[in-house]
Amino acid sequence: MNLEDQGEVKIKQEADIAMARRAIRDIAKKLGFGITETASIVTAASELSRNVFKYAGAGVMQWRTFTSGENKGVELRFEDRGPGIADVNEAVREGYSTGGGLGMGLPGAKRLMDEMEIDSTVGKGTRVTVRKWCRR
Amino acid sequence: MSDESISVIRIRDVLLVTMPADPDDTTVAALQERTLEAMDLHDVRGLVLDLSKVEILDSYFARTVAETAQMVGLMGGETIIAGMSPAVAITATELGVTLGKTRTALTIDRALDLISKPGDGTRPRREP
Repeated sequence: MNLEDQGEVKIKQEADIAMARRAIRDIAKKLGFGITETASIVTAASELSRNVFKYAGAGVMQWRTFTSGENKGVELRFEDRGPGIADVNEAVREGYSTGGGLGMGLPGAKRLMDEMEIDSTVGKGTRVTVRKWCRR
Repeated sequence: MSDESISVIRIRDVLLVTMPADPDDTTVAALQERTLEAMDLHDVRGLVLDLSKVEILDSYFARTVAETAQMVGLMGGETIIAGMSPAVAITATELGVTLGKTRTALTIDRALDLISKPGDGTRPRREP
């Protein structure tokens, strides 16, 4: 896998969620993702950066684009030092939420992307990594 | 009007509320306030919420739309969502968002047709 490009968007305030969306939209379009795939990636970025803001107050979204043979892809990594998730399996299940939301952030983002990994320690923080491949 | 602001205009007895392409949370939150204020100010049947410019509908945006429609309903108005793009419809469905019982239309034209019919079949017709 070859790294093509990378960057990050700090999530400190509500408006940064929209900033993260805009950054990812440009990257997805430039990489050659179609309209629907771009909307999927941007929506997942919106849900995951909102989770960072809502649960941890602040964090960062790191993105990188890569090529593997003929395939191109994008990886988004959301990291925070928030309360963490006690039961990760439960959190990606439909309808689970502790933040007064609709509970669709994590399971929804998982459906919208090709791959998702969650690394979380209670009291330390959470890292959510998602990837989507550009199929052409 | 900037690209990121909501437009609210009155056409006869309907409010046409147009959302920008990628509203931030503050703009989404303003949808509720601006719509309800306009409902209070004008004697209208309801509103057509034009989402044709919108590029993504995340869970926060969708919830605000559904809640706004519910509030408009309590005030005695009807909300019809119009113009959602295929990409937005596909993505929102995959994400799992619903808009409650809010009615939808393909275009603003069709939404205006729907909203301007008082007896549109939702009420049972009285037998002679």
